[in-house]
Amino acid sequence: MVNTLAPERAGHSASRARPPGPGPAARARRRQTVVAYLFLAPVLLFFAVFLALPLGFALLLSMSRWSGFDLGEIRPVGPANFTGLFARGSTFLAPVLTNTVLFALGTVVIALAGSVLVATCIDRLRFQGLWRTLYFLPMVTTVVAVGNVWKYMYEPGGLVNGVLNALGLGSVAFLQDPHTALPAVVVVQAWASAGSAILVLTAGLKSIPRSYYEAAELDGAGAVTVFRKITLPLLRPSLLFVCITQFLTGLQSFALITVMTKGGPGDATAVAALEMYRQAFSYGDWGTASAAAFVLFVVVLVITLVQLWVFRRSGEDA
Amino acid sequence: MSRRRQRVPWVSYLLVLSGAVLMVVPFLDMVMTSFKGPGESGKLPYRFLPKGFDFGNYAAALHQLDLPVLFRNSATATALITGSVLLTSSLAGYALAKLRFRGRDFIFRLVLATMMFPPFLFFIPHFLILVHWPLAGGNDVLGRGGAGLTVSVVALAMPFLVNGFGIFLMRQFMVSVPDEILEAARLDGAGEFTLWWRIVLPQTKPVLVTLALLTFVDAWNEYIWALLISTADPDVMTLPVGIQLLQDYVDPTRTMPVVMAALVLSILPVLVLFLLLQKHYIRGVMLSGLK
Repeated sequence: MVNTLAPERAGHSASRARPPGPGPAARARRRQTVVAYLFLAPVLLFFAVFLALPLGFALLLSMSRWSGFDLGEIRPVGPANFTGLFARGSTFLAPVLTNTVLFALGTVVIALAGSVLVATCIDRLRFQGLWRTLYFLPMVTTVVAVGNVWKYMYEPGGLVNGVLNALGLGSVAFLQDPHTALPAVVVVQAWASAGSAILVLTAGLKSIPRSYYEAAELDGAGAVTVFRKITLPLLRPSLLFVCITQFLTGLQSFALITVMTKGGPGDATAVAALEMYRQAFSYGDWGTASAAAFVLFVVVLVITLVQLWVFRRSGEDA
Repeated sequence: MSRRRQRVPWVSYLLVLSGAVLMVVPFLDMVMTSFKGPGESGKLPYRFLPKGFDFGNYAAALHQLDLPVLFRNSATATALITGSVLLTSSLAGYALAKLRFRGRDFIFRLVLATMMFPPFLFFIPHFLILVHWPLAGGNDVLGRGGAGLTVSVVALAMPFLVNGFGIFLMRQFMVSVPDEILEAARLDGAGEFTLWWRIVLPQTKPVLVTLALLTFVDAWNEYIWALLISTADPDVMTLPVGIQLLQDYVDPTRTMPVVMAALVLSILPVLVLFLLLQKHYIRGVMLSGLK
């Protein structure tokens, strides 16, 4: 893949050999440049209005106080919004940012463990496409459906408590109890994201040569040893990819939480992106909201870089 | 083939099967609940199956939710997004893959960079940009005085009309279209637009299907941005937002079966499309691993 990413230099050097002056070749090139920018115009315009402008605007807002109506009333306040987030009594660091990291970490651990297990098993079965499809269903379903079905299943008269009762256990108020609310939501997020992880890991497993397993079997290695010494190390690139993407989604996503708990009970499931959303659109504190967005951006970036670093250190490839 | 392949792997079957049950049961519970009567859902002890298969909840969903309007809004936004992403991605992809011009490498790197920015960074500025869109929704030239574009169904689609990943995907596949064919057609006097439409697009049809499907599913299921726009103007509410609203504001024990019925109807189009074209969709998810 790396090769195709590199821009093809061959064309450039070939065209450089043309004689100077506005010959037909030069005219053709100029025409190609005009056409290229015409083809790219919608994209470039979009990036200017919906990428560059918003980034600048968000940066300006993060260092201003603004109630949200007249653009002329934006008042610069320096880094006050950022220091406010980390001030004593602010809920941003704890529980909000802690919840965010716990939510992402819990999701990654459950989804990764589950999908490694399922993917290695699927690899030995027939009808692999059918299994993958079943595990993939939540991925193509709107978060409103996923959230509401699980919310309903967690209720006292819902499926989960029905199963608990049938096993002779007492009911649990999963989403109403501050101690169980976050784990309950984490399980749903992991359930919903396992499908793509299984997909990537199955592809990774397929690329491991069968001869390695056969050699290990001839040497009399047990299943656990084979898994630890062959499967896991050779699966590292896929694992890294799954880990990073799932962490990214986990740290950013708040749609599921908005649907299931709205951050409650209390602040038990409040996460950073939801807090940013509420600061802006419920409380009208656009400055604090924008500052929170940038802090979350930095957190996401740092966690991603740390993962890359850890995976690089624990193995030469990656 | 090795010996362990020939033995039936019972443990694996059991594990994968129980996992699959875990995946499917919530969907079945949704369908079952959608048939339950008012006195049936949320009652103890829990019963999986409904007493009878009554379609009353589906009628109620159609009635209480104004589903046709919600469907129309969702469909309009999804069509706008999918159409625009296909068009802009294939145009830009062609320019980046097959045309030589100054600034090409820079623009390609810019496209790659756009994929790194997390979407939540843009919610606030995007909303404000649409509110202050000049000369729309009662705004003056400086974008003051009105609600801007937020009161239009276009607002649902605006931030998603161009997709960095889509451009990247199209570019990667168009690179492999042989230059000789294009040069020959150029010598015959064909313009670049003709080349794009007549030669390159037909050759990259499978990728276009994949990109269309990925975009369609994401656009149809989008919730947070649509919620924001619907708060500004309830007339442009989409399916997920409308159903969630019904769930939030009416007595949950009574309305849950109606909500489930509406959910079944709303996820049906995507589910059918996914099951029919899943090869293309799954390939798209695998390809997104390339970035």
